[in-house]
Amino acid sequence: MSEVLKPQFTGARVTRLEDARLLRGQARYVDDFEYPGTLEVAFLRSNRAAARIQSVDVTEALAVPGVKAVWTFADCPITLPDRPFQVGQPVLARDEVRFVGEPVAAVIADSRYRAEDAVEKIRVQYEPLPAVVDSRAALADQPRRVHEHRPNRFLHKTHVTDGFNEAFQSAPHHLELTFRWNRQTGVTMETRGCLALPDPVSGRLTVYAGHQSPHGLRGMLARLLKLPEHQVRVVVPEVGGGFGIKAMFYPEYVVVAEAARRLGRPVKWIGDRMESLLADAHARDAIHEVAVAYDDEGRILAVRDHVIGDTGAYAFPGFPGAVGEANWATEMLTGPYKIPHVSIEIECVFSNKAPLGPYRGVGGPIGAQVQEAIVDAVARALGKDPVEVRRANLIGPEDFPYHTPTGKVYDPGSYGESLERALALVDYERFRKDQEQWRAQGRYVGLGLCVFVEPSAMAESEAGSIPYEAVTLRMEPSGVVTAAVGTGPTGQGHETTFAQLIADQLGIDVKDVVVLHGDTDSAPFGGGTGGSRSGTIGGGAAIRAGQALRRKLTQLAAHLLEAAEEDIRLEAGKAFVAGVPARSITIRDLARTAYTDVARLPEGMQPGLEVVARYQPPGAATYSNGTHLAVVEVDVETGFVKVLDYVVVNDCGVLVNPMIVEGQIHGGVAQGIGSALLEELRYDENGQLTTTSLMDYLLPTAEDVPRMRVEHIQTPSASEGGIKGMGEGSLIAAPGAIAAAVSDALAPFGVFVTELPIRPQQIVAWVQAAKTEAQAG
Amino acid sequence: MFPNAFEYEAPTSLDDAIRLIREHGYDAKVLAGGQSLLPMMKLRIAAPAVLIDINGIDELKGWREVDGTLRIGAMTRHAELEHARELADSFPLLSRTARWIADPLIRNRGTIGGSLAHADPGADWGAAMLAAGARIEARGPEGSRLIPVDEFFVDTFATSLNEDELVVAVHIDKPTGPVAARYMKLERKAGDFAIAALGVQVELDSNGRVAKAGIGMCACGPIPLRATKAEAALIGQPLTDETIKTVSRLVPEDADPTDDLRGSAEYKRDLLRVFASRALHEIAEELKGKVGGQ
Ligand SMILES: Cc1cc2nc3c(=O)[nH]c(=O)nc-3n(C[C@H](O)[C@H](O)[C@H](O)COP(=O)(O)OP(=O)(O)OC[C@H]3O[C@@H](n4cnc5c(N)ncnc54)[C@H](O)[C@@H]3O)c2cc1C
Repeated sequence: MSEVLKPQFTGARVTRLEDARLLRGQARYVDDFEYPGTLEVAFLRSNRAAARIQSVDVTEALAVPGVKAVWTFADCPITLPDRPFQVGQPVLARDEVRFVGEPVAAVIADSRYRAEDAVEKIRVQYEPLPAVVDSRAALADQPRRVHEHRPNRFLHKTHVTDGFNEAFQSAPHHLELTFRWNRQTGVTMETRGCLALPDPVSGRLTVYAGHQSPHGLRGMLARLLKLPEHQVRVVVPEVGGGFGIKAMFYPEYVVVAEAARRLGRPVKWIGDRMESLLADAHARDAIHEVAVAYDDEGRILAVRDHVIGDTGAYAFPGFPGAVGEANWATEMLTGPYKIPHVSIEIECVFSNKAPLGPYRGVGGPIGAQVQEAIVDAVARALGKDPVEVRRANLIGPEDFPYHTPTGKVYDPGSYGESLERALALVDYERFRKDQEQWRAQGRYVGLGLCVFVEPSAMAESEAGSIPYEAVTLRMEPSGVVTAAVGTGPTGQGHETTFAQLIADQLGIDVKDVVVLHGDTDSAPFGGGTGGSRSGTIGGGAAIRAGQALRRKLTQLAAHLLEAAEEDIRLEAGKAFVAGVPARSITIRDLARTAYTDVARLPEGMQPGLEVVARYQPPGAATYSNGTHLAVVEVDVETGFVKVLDYVVVNDCGVLVNPMIVEGQIHGGVAQGIGSALLEELRYDENGQLTTTSLMDYLLPTAEDVPRMRVEHIQTPSASEGGIKGMGEGSLIAAPGAIAAAVSDALAPFGVFVTELPIRPQQIVAWVQAAKTEAQAG
Repeated sequence: MFPNAFEYEAPTSLDDAIRLIREHGYDAKVLAGGQSLLPMMKLRIAAPAVLIDINGIDELKGWREVDGTLRIGAMTRHAELEHARELADSFPLLSRTARWIADPLIRNRGTIGGSLAHADPGADWGAAMLAAGARIEARGPEGSRLIPVDEFFVDTFATSLNEDELVVAVHIDKPTGPVAARYMKLERKAGDFAIAALGVQVELDSNGRVAKAGIGMCACGPIPLRATKAEAALIGQPLTDETIKTVSRLVPEDADPTDDLRGSAEYKRDLLRVFASRALHEIAEELKGKVGGQ
C-alpha cells in the first residue's frame, strides 16, 4: 500500500468549519448554558496585599434574601496541591491573605445580583502586614517572608558552559544591559468561569468550564473533591480565548464544584473583568541582568544572564509561572545565533502579587527581546549595521541539528533565509536611505528585527507532561466520520485542521469529518492545548488515526474489488484500483458494508470502522522559526509610537492551513504590540493593583494594529506530517521587533529600549535628556 | 460587576423629569447615554435607588440656531455632533472633538449633556466647551438659567448644578469673523481617555489679527481648565511663528496636572505646549486664505 497521498486539503486555505457559528453569534460559551435552579457564586476578594484575617463575619450576608450559603475556608477546607514549594493556595484564604484579589469568601445565592449584595455585607477584620512587592528586596526576605515558614526565594539554579569564564574574559569587547519586563496577562475576551451540575441519579458531577486541558481539569477536580475520576465529566464548550491563562487550575473551580455537590443544585460562576485582571494568571515580571562578550566582527562569544523572576503569592499547581518564564527565556537565550557560551543564574521569589502562570510564549518574548537587543547593542557599539551583525552570528543550514549551549537540539529551520526574505520585502537598503532623509526632516522612523526560534510540541509544557495525543475515529455507516480528540482548542480551529488531515487520509470531503473535543466522556485522554503542541502532536495523532482507518478501508476495498491492497487508492469519496478508475466502490458503500453487510467482509475482519491512535513525536521538541520586521514612527514630542509596517516570514514546517496559521500570526502580533507598547499590570508600593479595568490595562484595538504582510517558508519537521507548532512564535517575536524598531528610531538620541512596555512619557524624557546632554556637551 | 437593585422611571416630558428628580432627591440619578453611569453602577461606585431615564424626552434632542446662537439639546449624542456637516464651518470644535471621544459604540450612546454633567476632568467636551465659550442651560423647578462654562465645573465630578436641576442644552455663539479650531489629544490607544488634550479655537478680525481665542485643557487639573494667559497673549496678535511659540509656552502655566497612571504632571505640561504649538500652526495655515476674502 502506498503511503504517498495526493493531499487535497492539507495545505489548502480551507474556510474554518467553526466560523459559521462563531460569526453568527451562535457559539455557546459556559455562560450560555442555563439550567433551571442554578445558583450563582460571587466571591469576596481580598482588598489587601498582605494581612492576617482576624475575623470574618457573615451573619448579615446570610440574611440577604436568596442567599443559600456563605463559605469561608472553614466551610470548604481544600488547598491546591503544591508539593515542591509547600505553598499551596487554600481555595478560600486561610488565616492570611497574600494578594489583592485572593478569594476570601464565597456567597452562593439564587442570582449573581443577590450574591453580590451579600458580598458587600461580609465584614472582614484584617491586621495589615507589610507587602512584599519588589522582587530584589524579596530575595533578601525584605520586608518580610510571604510565607512565614519558608524564604521568599524558592528557586535558585545556575547553568554555566564549560570554558565560559575564559571565553568571556578573553573577548575584546563587553557590554552590559539590564532588561525589565513588567507584569502582563493574556486577556481573554471570554472571562474564566465554570458551571457544575450534580446528577442525583448517577451521582456524577458534570463541570462546564472554559479550559485548555479538559482531562487535566477533570483529574484535579476528582482528586481534590475525592471523587472517582469517572464520576466527574468535564465539558469544555466554546472558549473565548485561552492564551495559557485557561490552562491553569484555579481555586474558584473547586468552590463551585464543591458547592454544587454539597447543595445538590447547579452552581455557576462567571468571572467579571475586574476579577479577571486581579486573579487570572499574570505573566512576565522579570529582570534580566545581561553581560555580553563579543569580538571586532560583532560575533558574540559569551552571554551571561542573571534572572530575577517574581511569581507572586502562590505557585499554580504544576506551573509556577516565574520558573516557566525564566526557564524558557534562558534556555532559548541564544535564539538563532551561534553563541557558544552562556552563564545563567535564575532566582525566583514569592511576592504579594497575584500568582504568575503561563501566557502565550511564556518566557519566549522576553528571551527573544533580550537576544535581539544583544545583537543590536553590539551593532551599535561597533557602529555596524544590525543586519550585518545578525548575518555574522546566525546558525546556518550546515549547522543542523544544532546543539545550543543550553542543551537544546534544533531541527532544521530557515533562519538566514527568513531574515533575507523579510529584508527584501521592505527593501532594506532603500529603507536605510529613506530613514536618513526622514531624520533630516525631524521624522524618527525605525526598523526592528526579531529572528525568532520557537520551541513547540514539547514533551512537557503548561498542558502538563503528557507527550502524546490521542484521536479516536469512527466512520459511520453512511461514510461520514466522527473524530474525537483530547486537545482543548480556544479558537485555533482544530475542528478544521484535524478534519483536513483526516479527510486527506480517507479520501473524503473535509466537510464529512466532524471533530469533537472538550468532553471527557467522548474525548480520548489527552494533554490538552498549550505549548504549541496541538498541531504537531494532535495533528500527528489525527494522521495516524486516519492511516489506521485507511488501512482497514483499503483491505476491505481490495477484497471487494478483488485487487491487491497496494493497488487501492482512496480519493474523492471512492476507493479504486490504480490505473483502472472504473473498478471502484464508494467509500459510503464500504462503510455500509463494514457495518450492515458483514457477510461480505474478508475473513477475520471485525465489523465496524473505529480506531484509536496515539502519537508521540520523535524529538523532545520541534523548532519553528521566522523573522518579524517592524517599522515604527516615533513622535519624539509626544512619545507616541505608531507601527507603520509589519512583515512576518514564518516557517512552521508543513502548513496544514495557511489561513489559520496567518490568523494565529495576526493575533500574536497584535498581542505583541500590546506587550511592547501598552499592556502593564501595575502594583503600587502597597501591593494594590491599580489596573483593574480595561480602561487602565490597555489593549491594542484594530486601529493600533497595522495590516501585516505574511510569507511562509516550509522546512518540515521529523514529526508526522512534517508539522511544527506555531501558536506562540508571533507573540515571541513581535515585542522584540517593536522594541528594536523604537530603539532604531531613537538612535540619534542614543536611546536603547530595555524596559517593556514602553510608555510615551519615557520616550519624551529620554529624548529631552539626550537633547539637554547634547547642549551641555 | 452587577449593580444594586434600583427603580426605573422613564418620563417623556421635561416637567415630569424635574418633578421626579425633586421627588426622589439624592436617591435618584438621571440616565442619559449611560456610558459613565452604568459602569459606575456595575462597579457599585454609584448605587442610585431610582434611575430617571431621560432618553424619551424629545425636548432634549437635536439642535437649532436662534439669533446667532446654536442651542444643542443635552441628549445629543457624541456621534451626531461628530457627523453634523452643517455645523462644521461655524462650530468646528464640535466634530473635531467628538471624533476623539471613546469609540464609535460609546459615541453612539454618550451625550454631550451627560458628559458635561458628569464633570470628569478627563472628558473631552469640557475643554472643548471652554475653548468655544459655551453656556450651559440648566432647568429646575424654578425654570431655566444659563451658566457660563467657566462657572459650571466646580471640582472633579462636581458642577454648579443644583440637585434638582438638569442640563437641558448647551449654547454656543456663532463666530462673526473667520474661525478655525483644533482638538488635540494624546491617547495611548484608540478609544482611550486622554493623557492630556487641548481644544483651541481662534477667530480673526478683518486685519488678520486674533479677535477671540479660546483654549481649554483636558485631563490637566481637577476640572477642565482655561489657558487664560495664553489666550490673553493671543488677542490682537497675528498668528506668526513667534506669537505661536510664546503662546504655546504660556499654556501649561494655567494647567494643574497630577501624576497618574497615564503620565507624570511634567509630561502632561509638556504635551500641552506641544499641542498648543501644533494646533495654532494648523489654525494659522487654515486661516491664511480666509482673511479679507470672505
Ligand atoms: C470605555 C469608555 C471610554 C470613554 N472614553 C471617553 C473619552 O475618551 N472622552 C470622553 O470625553 N468621554 C469618554 N467616555 C465617557 C463617555 O463620553 C460618556 O458618554 C459621557 O461621559 C457621559 O455621558 P452619558 O450621556 O453617557 O451620561 P450618563 O452616563 O448617562 O450619565 C453620567 C452622569 O451625568 C448625569 N447626567 C446625565 N445627563 C444629565 C443631564 N442632562 N443633566 C444632569 N445630569 C445628567 C447622570 O446622572 C450621571 O451622573 C468614555 C466612556 C467609556 C465607557
